[in-house]
Amino acid sequence: MTVTALVLGPIVVGLLLYALPRTATTAARTVAAVVAALTFIAPLVDPNAPDAAARWLSRPFTATFHLGFGPLSYWLVLLLALITFSAALTLKGDRAREIAAQLLVLQGAMNGVFLAKDLLLFALFWDLMLIPVFLVLITTSTHGRPAWKYLIYNLVGGLALLLATAAYGVLAGTTDVIGNPTAHFSVVSAWGLWIFAGIAFAFLVKTPVFPFHTWMPETYAELPPPMVAVVSAVQSKAGLYGFMAITLPLLPVQMGQAKTLMFALGLAGLIYGALAALAERDAKKVVAYSSLSHLGLILLAVFSGSALAYIGALVYMVAHGLFSAALFLALGAVEQREETRDLARLGGLASRNPRLAGALMLGALAALGLPGLAGFAGEILILTGLFKAGWTLAAVIALVPVVLASAYMLRLYQGIMNGPDVPDLPERRDMTWLEGLALAPLVAAFVWLGINPGALTAAADLGARTTPPAAITSSAAPEAPRVVSSR
Amino acid sequence: MSSALGNFPIGADYAALLPAFVVACTPLVILFVDLFLRGSSMARRAIAITFAIVGLLAAGAVEASAYPHDYAAFGGAFVQGGFSTVFSEIVIVATIATLLLSVGIGRTDQVAGTTSLVLWSASGAMLMSGAANLMAVFLGLELLSLGLYCLCAISSRITARESALKYLILSSMASGFLLYGSALLFGASGSVAFSALATAPVTPLFALGAGLFFVGIAFKLSLVPFHAWTPDVYEGAPLPVTAFMSVVTKAGTLAVFARFAYAALPPDRASAILLPIWVLAAASMLVGNLAALAQTDMKRLLAYSGIAQVGYIVASFAGQSVLGLRYAILYLAGYTFMNLGVFAVVALMSRDGDAVVGLGRFAGLAYRRPWLAAAMTLFLIGLAGLPPTIGFTGKVLILAATTGAGYAWLAAVLIVGTAISAYVYFKIVRAMFVRVDPAHVRDERSTNPLPWIAVGVCAAATFVLGIVPLAPSNVLPLVK
Repeated sequence: MTVTALVLGPIVVGLLLYALPRTATTAARTVAAVVAALTFIAPLVDPNAPDAAARWLSRPFTATFHLGFGPLSYWLVLLLALITFSAALTLKGDRAREIAAQLLVLQGAMNGVFLAKDLLLFALFWDLMLIPVFLVLITTSTHGRPAWKYLIYNLVGGLALLLATAAYGVLAGTTDVIGNPTAHFSVVSAWGLWIFAGIAFAFLVKTPVFPFHTWMPETYAELPPPMVAVVSAVQSKAGLYGFMAITLPLLPVQMGQAKTLMFALGLAGLIYGALAALAERDAKKVVAYSSLSHLGLILLAVFSGSALAYIGALVYMVAHGLFSAALFLALGAVEQREETRDLARLGGLASRNPRLAGALMLGALAALGLPGLAGFAGEILILTGLFKAGWTLAAVIALVPVVLASAYMLRLYQGIMNGPDVPDLPERRDMTWLEGLALAPLVAAFVWLGINPGALTAAADLGARTTPPAAITSSAAPEAPRVVSSR
Repeated sequence: MSSALGNFPIGADYAALLPAFVVACTPLVILFVDLFLRGSSMARRAIAITFAIVGLLAAGAVEASAYPHDYAAFGGAFVQGGFSTVFSEIVIVATIATLLLSVGIGRTDQVAGTTSLVLWSASGAMLMSGAANLMAVFLGLELLSLGLYCLCAISSRITARESALKYLILSSMASGFLLYGSALLFGASGSVAFSALATAPVTPLFALGAGLFFVGIAFKLSLVPFHAWTPDVYEGAPLPVTAFMSVVTKAGTLAVFARFAYAALPPDRASAILLPIWVLAAASMLVGNLAALAQTDMKRLLAYSGIAQVGYIVASFAGQSVLGLRYAILYLAGYTFMNLGVFAVVALMSRDGDAVVGLGRFAGLAYRRPWLAAAMTLFLIGLAGLPPTIGFTGKVLILAATTGAGYAWLAAVLIVGTAISAYVYFKIVRAMFVRVDPAHVRDERSTNPLPWIAVGVCAAATFVLGIVPLAPSNVLPLVK
C-alpha cells in the first residue's frame, strides 16, 4: 500500500494540479511540498512496507506490477522526496503550476523506477520519466534543441533497455527478478552480452557517462532550477542504481567482462568533466560538468568489485544528490536575482546577499569534498575501496579530478560572490525565508551524512543484502547456468 | 462444414455471415427512409447516422456471440470464429468512429448515400476478416475498395478528385496483381482454398503466384515500396474517410495476410516465401518514419505514420508464431484507438470537421483547449511507443514475439524506427505546449461535438489496454 502510494500518489496529485487556476502559484507550491513531505515521511514511518504485486502479463513471459523497497531504493526514495520538497518550495513565477505538476509526475515515475521489482515495470517507469522533463524543457527553453537532445538521447537509451528487457523476458520466462535472490537465471550465451549492452547503454546515457553526456549540459542549463535540482540529483542516479540493483545481480558475468571499458569511460568522464568545469563560463554548466566528473567516480566504484567502494558508491550517490540539488537551487536564486548565469558578468554578490553566499558556499564545500561533509565521506570510501581492490592506477588518476574539484568549485563561488562589485547588475534582496527553508534540509542532510556516513549502510542492513561485488571479481560462471540457444 | 446435401450451403453458413449481412443491409433501410425526408434538415443527417450506428452495434453484438465458436461456412470459404470476430469488431469500432466524425461533412442530400457506402465498405472488410479462400478474399477486397473510390471523391476540394482517381487507378492495379497471383496459385494447386494451398507442392508457378498475391497485399497495406499512393490519397480524401481507410483497409488486409501467411503456405517453405515481406516491413518502419519527419500536413503525416505502424504489426507475424499473431491483433486494436483518437482530435479542430490541418494549427493548443491537447498528447505518446499506453505494452510484446521467433534483426529495426518516430510525434507535442500569441493561430472549433465521444473512448482504451493487455487467445485454427 505504502509503495503503491509512493508511485501513484505524486502522479495523480500532479495531474490534478492542472485543475488549479494558472495563477495559483502559492497553492501549487504548497500542494507539491506537502505531497513531497508525505512521501518523505511514509518510508520513515513504514520502512518494512510489504511489496505490492499484481499480475500484468503471463505470456510470452510473466511480468508483474511489483513494487517494493530494496536496500538501495529505500535511500534513493527518501533522497528524491527530500529534494522534491526543497525544489517545490522554490517554485515561483507564472509557470509554477505547470512545473509543480510535472515535478510531482516526475517524482512518481522515478519512485517507480527505484521501487520496481520487475524489469518490464522498471522499463515502463524509465520511459515514463522522460515525458515530464521533456514537457518542461519545451515550455521553458527558448529554442527546441535541448529538449530534442534530451528526448532523442534518452529515448534511444530507453528503447535499447526495452529490447533487452523483452529479450531477457523471452529467455528467462519472467521479468519479475529485481531484488529476488531466488531468480538465478543467468544468460551465458552470446545473447547475454547483447542484453547487457542494451541495458548498460540506457544506464550510461541516463547517468550520463562520457561520451553519452552531450545532452546533459544544455538540459541542465535550460531546465528551471526546481526541475534541474531533481533531474541532476536523482534522475542521474537511476542509471547507477540500475547497475547496482539490476545488472550486478542478474548479469554478473557480463558486468565483469565490461569492467575495463567502464573504467575507461568513467575515468575519461572524471577528467573531461573536471576540465570542462574549469573552463565553463555558464554557472549551471559548471555544476553540470562537475556532475559528469563525480558520476564517473561512482561508475568506477560500481564496477570495481570492492565491497567498500560499493558502499562508498551509495554514500556518494546520496551525497551528490544533496549537494548538487543545493548548488542548483542556490544558483537558481542567483540567476533569478541577477538575470544572468555568466561567471564573467557576475561578481561581488557576497557583500549584498550574504545569506545566499553562505548557502552557495556550503554547497560548493560539500561538492569539493571538504572533510566533515557528505562528499568527502563518499569519496574517501570509494578511493580506499579502489586501492584495496587493486585498482591503484585508476585510483591515482581519479584523485587528480577530485583535487581539481576544489579549483572549479572555488572558481564558481568566487566568480559569483567575490571580487569587485559589478555596478550594472540589478540589486535585489537577500535570500528569503522560503528559500532558506528549501535549502536547510539539504544542508542539514549533507552535514549529518558527512559526520555519520555509517547511518546509510547500517540502518538497512545493506552489508548483508548487497554483497554481489564478489560475483564480479570472480569470473566463475554462476551455478547451474542455463545455456540459451538461439533459434 | 458442408451439410448432408454436399456442398450446398445450409442455414448455419448464412448465420456465419449474419454480421456482415446486417452491416450490408442497414444501408437499404437508410436509403429507403431517406426517400421520405426532404430539405437539408439536421434530422436527415441524424437519422442516417443513427440507423447506421444501430446497425453496426447490432452486428457487433452478433459478431461477439460468435467469438468462442469456430465454424467454417460455405465449405471452408468463410471461417467464422475468434480470429475473424476480433478483426470484424475492430472494423465495426472504426466504422462507428468514422460515422461520429462524419456528421458535419458533405451535402445533406448526400449523407444517406455516403453513410451507405461506408457501411458497404465495412461489410467488405468484415468479409475479408473471415475469408479463407482466394475468391472470398477478392470479393471482400473489391467490396471494400469500390465504396472507398466514391467516398474519396465526395469532398469539394480540388485534391479530392485527384485523390479518388489515384486511389482508383493504383488500387485497381493492386487488385489486378492480387487476382493474377490468385489465378497462378489456383493453377499451381488446383484449388482456391487456403487449406489446399498449404499442402500443394511449391513449384515456381506457386512461388510466383504467392509473390504477386503479396504485391497486391503490400499495396493495400501500403508497405514500402508500394506506399507512394497513401499520402496523396489520404490528403485529398475527406477526414473521416481517411480515418476509415487508415484503419479498416489495413485491418481487413492484415486479416487476409495473417490467414494466408499462417495457414495457406506449406509449413516447411513458408519462412523462405515470407522473407521478402519481413524485409518490406523493416523498410516500412524506416522509410515511413523518415518520411513522416518532413511532413507539415497532419493527414500526410498520419499517412506516413500509418505506413510505419503497419510495419510494426507485420513484423509481429515474423516466424508465424501464435503469440506473434495474438500480439499483432492486440497492437492493431491499440493502433486503431490511438489513430482514430488523433483523427477525432483533428476533426475537432476544423469547423466542418474536414479542413486542411497543418502542424502550425497545433501551436499553443495546450493553453487554448487543454483537454483536447491532453488527449492528443496521450495518443501521440502511445504512437511513439511510450508508457502508459498500449503503444508501449504492445510494442514490448511485439519485440518479445519477434525475438522469440528468431527475428532479432527485425526487432532491432523496429527499435530504430521507433526512435525516429519520436521526433515525428513529439514535434506535435512540442507545438501544443509552446506558448504563442493566440492572434497568430487560427482557432477553429468543430460544430459537431460527436468526435468528443471518439476522443474519450479512444483515450480510455489507449490507457486501459496498456495496463491490461487483452490479447485474444482464441485465434486458431485459421482454416478448416
